[in-house]
Amino acid sequence: MNPSAASAVPLLKAKALTREFDEGQVKALRGVDFSINEGEFVAIAGPSGCGKSTLLQLLGALDQPTSGELFYRGESVPDNPDPAAYRASEIGFIFQAFHLLPTFTALENVQLPMFESYCSRSERRERARELLRLVGLKDRLAHFPSKLSGGERQRVAIARSLANGPSLLLADEPTGNLDSDNAHAVLDLIISLQQEQGRTMVLVTHDPSIAERAGRILRMMDGRIVSDQLVPAESVAANRK
Amino acid sequence: MTFFTVVIRSLLRRPMRTGFTLAGISIGIAAVVALVGMSRGFEKSWQVGLKARGTDIVVSNRSGSLTPKPFDASVRDRIKDLPHIAATCDLLVEVTSVEDSDLMILSAREWGGFSWDNLELASGRMPRDAAEEAVVLGQTAAEVLKKKVGDPIQIETKQLKVVGIVRGGALVEDGSIILSLPLLQKILGSPNQINAIDVRVTPSTNEQQLRDLTQQIQQRVPQVRAVTISEHLNHNEGFRLVRAMSWGTSLLALLVGILGVMNTMLMTVFERTHEICVLLALGWTRRRIIRMVLYESALLGLFGGIIGVTLGAIGVRLLGQTPALRGLLQPDLGLPLLGLSVVIALVVGIVSGLYPAWRSSRLMPSVALQAG
Repeated sequence: MNPSAASAVPLLKAKALTREFDEGQVKALRGVDFSINEGEFVAIAGPSGCGKSTLLQLLGALDQPTSGELFYRGESVPDNPDPAAYRASEIGFIFQAFHLLPTFTALENVQLPMFESYCSRSERRERARELLRLVGLKDRLAHFPSKLSGGERQRVAIARSLANGPSLLLADEPTGNLDSDNAHAVLDLIISLQQEQGRTMVLVTHDPSIAERAGRILRMMDGRIVSDQLVPAESVAANRK
Repeated sequence: MTFFTVVIRSLLRRPMRTGFTLAGISIGIAAVVALVGMSRGFEKSWQVGLKARGTDIVVSNRSGSLTPKPFDASVRDRIKDLPHIAATCDLLVEVTSVEDSDLMILSAREWGGFSWDNLELASGRMPRDAAEEAVVLGQTAAEVLKKKVGDPIQIETKQLKVVGIVRGGALVEDGSIILSLPLLQKILGSPNQINAIDVRVTPSTNEQQLRDLTQQIQQRVPQVRAVTISEHLNHNEGFRLVRAMSWGTSLLALLVGILGVMNTMLMTVFERTHEICVLLALGWTRRRIIRMVLYESALLGLFGGIIGVTLGAIGVRLLGQTPALRGLLQPDLGLPLLGLSVVIALVVGIVSGLYPAWRSSRLMPSVALQAG
């Protein structure tokens, strides 16, 4: 099913993944198979309720599948005895609603994931400062989320997702709460960071124009992947202009 | 930013609620400090009073209440020739209302007994003889009763005269109305009745001999209890009751404090479900979430304890100044009690946080995404 060039061990591999709720009455995922290689930018596209956010939660070990298997670098994700460590060191989340903590400044929000790393206090602060500079917010370090625009909040969230240098970025409708100008700018930022740093990214969206900026699109419908499409490099480049 | 910053920031997020919780726990701890401090002070002042009189052993009725039941004065004759006894002094002590004061210590002493010796005249004179219808007042008693030398004073049905004001060297002595034993026995119509004998031993008597002596006294007069001063306070039912009541009331206040902190922490956890889920999604371990909640509740306890100790100490001093208690109370607010109170508050904080912390650690992080 995966048309991309397969390396020895894919970064992510799912086999017959299902997720049911309410004792099987709601079937969010009905047997999903795919593999994603290191460095890929994959969009998961589909209408609301097709199961794409549920899939993203399973990839980030925020939830457990009902059946099936999911591997990260060949290791089972559901059987990981320490999912918090997996999330802290390997995963960077970017949410649609930003999910910044309101009582902390931009600089502090970015530092929050770093408590699970072995950084000293000053290292945490320096790294957060550097990440905020990277997302263009070096003048907003001491601002609380309520004093930032939507676009700025999502930039803080992006900086936070990079705090522990994750291999895999999981973005759930990252521009869904932004106006078109901000959405465009934030998406450019996410993609440029992914490209420059060679990270793997899985982005969930219902917007086809956003999905087409990825190198590969997994389309979902009713809990299944209905197509797996590689986007030609030239059209990716054209879409990113 | 440190982990501690996260904890403090959470508490400051709802300053009103944090403030009310602190008030709740502070009141609980203030109750501990005030009630236990007062009961300890009460005991201590009796002990100091007995020591100031030069008493080593107290012989009293077995009932052991605050003012023991009277017994016949002939008991003294049966024990006075025992070894190591240097002197004895018959006493009849009542805690009673005198004129406008509800609680006054009426201390009638054997005329010529050693319990008169430590009294130092501040003004006036001592009674001339056992039969003179006169009393001397401890300085505090004089203040409480608003009496000076020459004033009349109503004791039971008899009007006596204040002939002197004395310094007793201890709160209980200073707070007492002191008169001769035969005079009080006459007023009460109970000649030969006493309710305590103060025993002074020879200076060379050691602790073991002192204990042996108490046993010998009890063997000779089985209906009385002879105890050393420190035992006297420990075995006294009145003091035990005061002690039990002060701790009982304090624990009740503390229970209210515990429920207050637990309620606040549960509210905090419910209110911050989303935030806690975000932190879990960011990779925070459940253990760190538990620590965060426990640190918050422990801090509430600690600050509540410090505020409560301060409030309790101030409150008990103010209480000691009220006319009803003046002269009876010298609160014992030693460092051990204050330290213990803060430790109790800290433990209360931690215990109250256990259930909320456990609840917070059970949250599923996927909730954070769904909420988006």
